[in-house]
Amino acid sequence: MSGPGIVAYLALSTLLFGIGIAGVLLRRSPLIVMLALEIMLNASNLALIAFSRHWADGDGQIFALTVMVVAASEAVVGLGLIVAMSRRKLQLDVDKMTNLKG
Amino acid sequence: MITAAWIALLAPAVAVLLIGVLHKAISRAQAGWIASLATLVSFAASLVAFVTLLGESPEERGRMSTIYTWLSAGDLQIGMEIFIDPLSVFMMMIISGVGFLILAYAVGYMHGDTEERRYHAYKALFVFSMLLLVMAGNLVLLLAGWGMVGLSSYLLINYWHQRREAVAAGKKAFVVNAFGDVTFMVSIFLLIQHLGVVDFPGVFAGAPAALGQSTTVSVIVALGLLGAAAAKSAQIPLHTWLPDAMEGPTPVSALIHAATMVTAGVYLIARTHVLFELAPAVLHTAAVLGGITLLVAGVIALVQTDIKRVIAYSTMSQIGYMFLAAGLGAYAAGMFHLMTHAFFKALLFLAAGVLIHALADEQDIRKMGGLASSMPWTYKAFIVGALALAGFPPLSGFFSKDLILAHSLAEGVIGPILMVIALTGAFLTAVYTFRLLFIVFKGEPSEYVREKFHKERFEGPLTMMIPVGALAVLAIVGGLIQIPGAWHAVDDWIEPVAESLQHPDTWMEVISPILAVVLAGAGTVIAWRLWGRPSNVPAKLRARHPRIAATLEHKFYFDEIYDRALSVPTQQLAVGLRRFIEAPLILGSSGELGHSVRGLGRLVARVQTGLLRSYALLIAGSLLLIAIVFLSVR
Repeated sequence: MSGPGIVAYLALSTLLFGIGIAGVLLRRSPLIVMLALEIMLNASNLALIAFSRHWADGDGQIFALTVMVVAASEAVVGLGLIVAMSRRKLQLDVDKMTNLKG
Repeated sequence: MITAAWIALLAPAVAVLLIGVLHKAISRAQAGWIASLATLVSFAASLVAFVTLLGESPEERGRMSTIYTWLSAGDLQIGMEIFIDPLSVFMMMIISGVGFLILAYAVGYMHGDTEERRYHAYKALFVFSMLLLVMAGNLVLLLAGWGMVGLSSYLLINYWHQRREAVAAGKKAFVVNAFGDVTFMVSIFLLIQHLGVVDFPGVFAGAPAALGQSTTVSVIVALGLLGAAAAKSAQIPLHTWLPDAMEGPTPVSALIHAATMVTAGVYLIARTHVLFELAPAVLHTAAVLGGITLLVAGVIALVQTDIKRVIAYSTMSQIGYMFLAAGLGAYAAGMFHLMTHAFFKALLFLAAGVLIHALADEQDIRKMGGLASSMPWTYKAFIVGALALAGFPPLSGFFSKDLILAHSLAEGVIGPILMVIALTGAFLTAVYTFRLLFIVFKGEPSEYVREKFHKERFEGPLTMMIPVGALAVLAIVGGLIQIPGAWHAVDDWIEPVAESLQHPDTWMEVISPILAVVLAGAGTVIAWRLWGRPSNVPAKLRARHPRIAATLEHKFYFDEIYDRALSVPTQQLAVGLRRFIEAPLILGSSGELGHSVRGLGRLVARVQTGLLRSYALLIAGSLLLIAIVFLSVR
């Protein structure tokens, strides 16, 4: 049980989450947005596992596995959407897709 | 016997359910047969109850049967119970017996109508309601039957719902009857307050002590009951609905608006006579109302031109006799006249129905004429009905009407006055009845008759002619069950329940029939002179007294007065409320509400930019905000 303390892990997790948010908010390509989402999910995974180790409890790891499954599914759906968009010759720009405007 | 009584009550209800559930699985005629056979079952069961009661001593003929407690509130228990005594069995036999004949007649009369099943179901519903009314063991259940006969009457009056007049007539009947229902309720509430029971034996035993003789309470109770009776029985001033009710099919007029439902008021007075005798003034009011009605209706019937309306006014007039009898305390006489009237008036209506059927639904007697040769059987039936109605011996109307006259002669001061009125009424009855008969049947066939008259093999289908024949026989012999000086079957039967307040001497029983028959004979002769052969006297009379003629043709302006005083103000009130309350307040406010919700929505919709990144920013920002709030609050 050695190595960096929990604070270091949480700091890294927060940093990764911030990078992910910045990616989602700033980039316009849907592909990059999805990548940024993956970074956010993995940031939360890192936090889960850090806590799991800190408390010597396996629950966090199981949670992390679940998150990975969700992330994989999300990637499937999201990539499928992107492929469908490009097939319809739609511009790959999230700012151009505003059909849900109220 | 109790089982038989319950079967009598429930058989028509079962018929209603059967017709309703089977719907198109049965033919229209089958629906009619289900309804009439159920009524026949009721009649058979009523006969069983009658015979059983006959075998017991007169004092022990009242039976109460409760199947469960229907309503329970504190000390007040109201049971689902029936009360079988001579009075209710008497009514049950009339209702189911005459009802069966008329329902069977209706199978032929309504043949070919598009909504026949609905008609037969309503008719069975009416028989059930009417039986409930007369068999009810307490006042609340009686009120339930009272309301349900009003409902089925309403449903059947506007049965031809595509006719505006029929719908209006149905509404009118319902509203006037609702007035009676309300006064009835006032009486019941007062009885519950002062007695705490509503079942008949309990009420009659407790009322004299709890209400007192001629106290305010007992007068109000009796007035409430009288209001209900007058509304249901179309007595002045609550009579205006009955002539309009003739918009319904003819068998309906015969069963509901002649033979049974409209006589329910007489039954109510006889049933609750203990309460009425606590307020003799109210009882006499009933007699006076009956006297006025029989006179006014008789006069109006002289000028009516619609065959069914003439008979309707005659019905009002005859119920006036029954009210006169019941109001004087001659309950058995009233019930006797109720029975004979059910026979001969149903006969007249059904015979009129045969005519209307043969004349392509024409009801205006001015277009009829000379039908005697083409419809001899109907003519004979009509003659029987007319003679019985006018009170010629030995037909049924003679015995019952003269019993009423004899009783009124025996009653103190008010009696002889009413007897003069009743004798005048007997004269008028003969005039208007034979006027109708002569105009319709005598002389040469009119142009309309020559053109439109069509006869199938017989004057009408057998399902119509057999009931007419049966009723004609009843109208002839029905009165023989009670002959003055010989035997008093009706008196003996009813007296243990509702004892007459006076007992006419023999000379009264002799003199009144003689007077009545002489006057009726005079009326017939006058009718013959005026309408029995070509004559210009009616036209001359009309020309000489235009105002009297107009007053009669407008039925003493009752409808006009009610329109001005009640109907028009109510409608104006409704229009005013619509304009000044509903439009600005209710419609306006709901409009405002809708507008403001829409405005709010438009405001919030601005958040929905459709830009994915702005949503993400909102989510991230809100999460950040929540995190900050949580952290700072700790």
